Amino acid sequence: MSSLETQEAPARETLQDDAATSPRRPTGVARLLAGAQLNKFSGLLILAALIIVFGLLRPETFLTLANARSILATQAIVAVLAIGLLFPLAAGAFDLSAAQNLGFSAVLCGVLLTKQDLPVPLAILVTLVVGGVIGAFNGFLVAVIGIDSFIATLGTTSLLLAGSQILAEGAFIGPLDDSFLAITDQKVFTLPIIVLYVAVLALLAWYVIEHSPLGRRIYATGANPEAAHLSGVATKRLVFFSLVTSAVVASAAGVLLASTLGSVSESIGPEYLLPAFAAVFLGTTQLKPGRFNVGGTLIAILLLGTGVAGLQLLGAPIWVTALFNGIALIVAVGAVLMVKRVQERRAVRRAAQAARQVAASTPVASTTA
Amino acid sequence: MSTTVADRPAALSVRGLSKTFQGQQALRQVALDLQPGEIHCLLGQNGSGKSTLIKILAGYHTPDPGSEASVFGTEVEVGPHMAEKSGLRFIHQDLGMIDSLSVADNMSLGGSFPGRFWLSDRQHVRHSQAILDSYGVKVDAAATIGELSLAARTLVAVVRALHFGPAKDAILVLDEPTAALAEADKQLLFTLLREVQARGQTILYVTHLLQEVFELGDRVTILRNGSVVATRPLAGLDHDSLIELILGRKLEALYPDHEESAGVAVLQAEHLAGGNVKDLSLSVRAGEIVGVVGLMGSGAEDVPHLLFGSRPRAAGVVRVDGRDVPPDAPAASIRAGIAFSPGERKRLAVLGEWSVRENITLPRLKGLGRLRWMSRRAEGRDVAPYVAKYGVHPRDPEMRLASLSGGNQQKVVIARWMRSGAHVFLLEEPTAGVDVGAKRAIYDAILQAAAGGSAILLMTSDFDEAASMCDRVLVLRDGVLGASVPRAEATTDRLLGESISRSRSKDSLHV
Repeated sequence: MSSLETQEAPARETLQDDAATSPRRPTGVARLLAGAQLNKFSGLLILAALIIVFGLLRPETFLTLANARSILATQAIVAVLAIGLLFPLAAGAFDLSAAQNLGFSAVLCGVLLTKQDLPVPLAILVTLVVGGVIGAFNGFLVAVIGIDSFIATLGTTSLLLAGSQILAEGAFIGPLDDSFLAITDQKVFTLPIIVLYVAVLALLAWYVIEHSPLGRRIYATGANPEAAHLSGVATKRLVFFSLVTSAVVASAAGVLLASTLGSVSESIGPEYLLPAFAAVFLGTTQLKPGRFNVGGTLIAILLLGTGVAGLQLLGAPIWVTALFNGIALIVAVGAVLMVKRVQERRAVRRAAQAARQVAASTPVASTTA
Repeated sequence: MSTTVADRPAALSVRGLSKTFQGQQALRQVALDLQPGEIHCLLGQNGSGKSTLIKILAGYHTPDPGSEASVFGTEVEVGPHMAEKSGLRFIHQDLGMIDSLSVADNMSLGGSFPGRFWLSDRQHVRHSQAILDSYGVKVDAAATIGELSLAARTLVAVVRALHFGPAKDAILVLDEPTAALAEADKQLLFTLLREVQARGQTILYVTHLLQEVFELGDRVTILRNGSVVATRPLAGLDHDSLIELILGRKLEALYPDHEESAGVAVLQAEHLAGGNVKDLSLSVRAGEIVGVVGLMGSGAEDVPHLLFGSRPRAAGVVRVDGRDVPPDAPAASIRAGIAFSPGERKRLAVLGEWSVRENITLPRLKGLGRLRWMSRRAEGRDVAPYVAKYGVHPRDPEMRLASLSGGNQQKVVIARWMRSGAHVFLLEEPTAGVDVGAKRAIYDAILQAAAGGSAILLMTSDFDEAASMCDRVLVLRDGVLGASVPRAEATTDRLLGESISRSRSKDSLHV
């Protein structure tokens, strides 16, 4: 399928590449990226390239089912968190507290299971409800009081860290009960069951965000809150809802993480913030360019996960993960901006051309029905 | 005033200017001559090449080879450095002001601050104030730009442009500076421009509004399809012949005829207050077009917002079909059947990065695709007839909205509300910044809606539009109803007179 994509992309590129007439020509990189943008599946191409390169370099370890399973399983938690983050980001709000919420929820769930001896379903339910309350608190700060979401959720992050520390009292919580571990310790068609959870969540989010009226209104809130409000969109309610959603999903990610780890501590959580945001922003360059979308996010996660796993198999030191994620985030956001600039220039030129055609063919006044 | 001494060379003379984009000629052998000390108007429909010409003068586009230009007789090269070398100064629609800084600071931006090492605010303000005073602009140089009216900001922008760079003969280029100004505020700008002209400076004035051309201009250059159709003194031209030159044919009439056919009262408001409105009652019947006009600050600009709920309603009742509409709740107003097309299109009406399709469907998303599953194809099919009916160009619903011209964006907003199933339309400045051809399309859409039994409230600062389109025009003065002028008596002069009478008699030049 990848060869089909490569053949199609250059054709479209030459059709629309009229940069030669532009006064300030975009740099080669930007144009290259704009070309990649037109090919909305460039992420998959890069993924394929990574697999081939690592496969050639480490055929015995990289090209194995075990490695694929391991990549999917380690990225599943990031994927859950990232899918949750799509909601507030699409609505124009940041939820920086999601990763710490994940950590807090993992600790909370562990404490409920070990110290309170709650049955597994009840412990999970209570954790998710508390997650929802945290989201409602964020929503209250942002949508009701009107604090900038970046700052409000930064504050909440610190509150949650304190919460984790109070609950854990500096100790590891665990080992957790086998029936709790069983939630993630199963296989479906040789794949870890957690991958199935991600798939179900992704489908649900895909419908809500990209194919339901609710999702369209969420996007509208992010695109132009004032115009959306005047078109009847309950923008504040949607920002509130989106923050609650990301918090509940982050809690669920925390529960899954606790289940995969078997024991938890107060220090987990923050390390998931950057990969999740990197994936979401990188995702906006894929499938539906310029928009936060589920499919693009998943592609980005696979890309980042494969890259990190491959580098580790090549014997790269531990800091490569952080380096790779940081570069990916900066490049992704930078690429989005540059691509936008190139697209805008193209659009202006196209519109000018269209206007000239109208002026040349029919007088405008006669176009009325 | 009409012609200047012939022996002085032209302030700016451009010859043989062409511009080709991908084999499409945007400009063909354009010649433009500005006499020193004249106000020269540049007219043309959207797409006529006006903005390309301005962008070439500003150095943003490079013209095709073969063009020549001279400034006061000295040859200059048409290119990125021409504007700076020849004293061309541009005032674009967005003015380029920083809201949080003072008038004095804004005036020094990009230019010079008085004093070399130590910036004294007081000295700086005094210096800027002196410049403003010398032009008779009554604006406090210490005030923050953000707290000034748009009119005052425009005046500051003009003075700033004249004092930008080395002091020599300036050629001021204004690109539709009055698009968002009320009638009385335009007069302030015109007074200033005449003062600038009296000092011997040259002005190139780009506009859509023919009245302004007649009011202000000495000569006019008209572009059509990239070529100059005519450059003439305005003295020998009238309104109709100018339109004919712009369109290349006669326009039947800018304002379509319509029959008055009013039914029952659909929209009613009693003792409405909020913003600048102190106490206003009104009612609009089915099929009726009611105009709302008034000077800035009269409250007219608040009326549609108060009715719709986008500005806080301090008092009063709004009813649609006899049912109360809750205050400050646009969503509830839409459910009651009200549509609102705000004047600040970019900020309040459109989602620029979205497609035309998504912009049209936003208020009513039900029924696009099966089983609550929105599909792009179903949505496209739903939207297509609206795009066609309201003449949105280009006719592609997937176009990014921000890439359309202002007029076409406005058509999209109209299409959005027609599709929403509303039967009360609040239109604020629906034709601001829209060219003559698109205006007619919008008027036709309004009349069609009225003929279909909708109640229409048209808030406009274009008195001519109000007089020609409305069955009744409500003139606001100081927050209350000053006059209700029936169609038969509504003329531009009458409306202007009604809005000025008594109020604002103190010092109408003060902003």
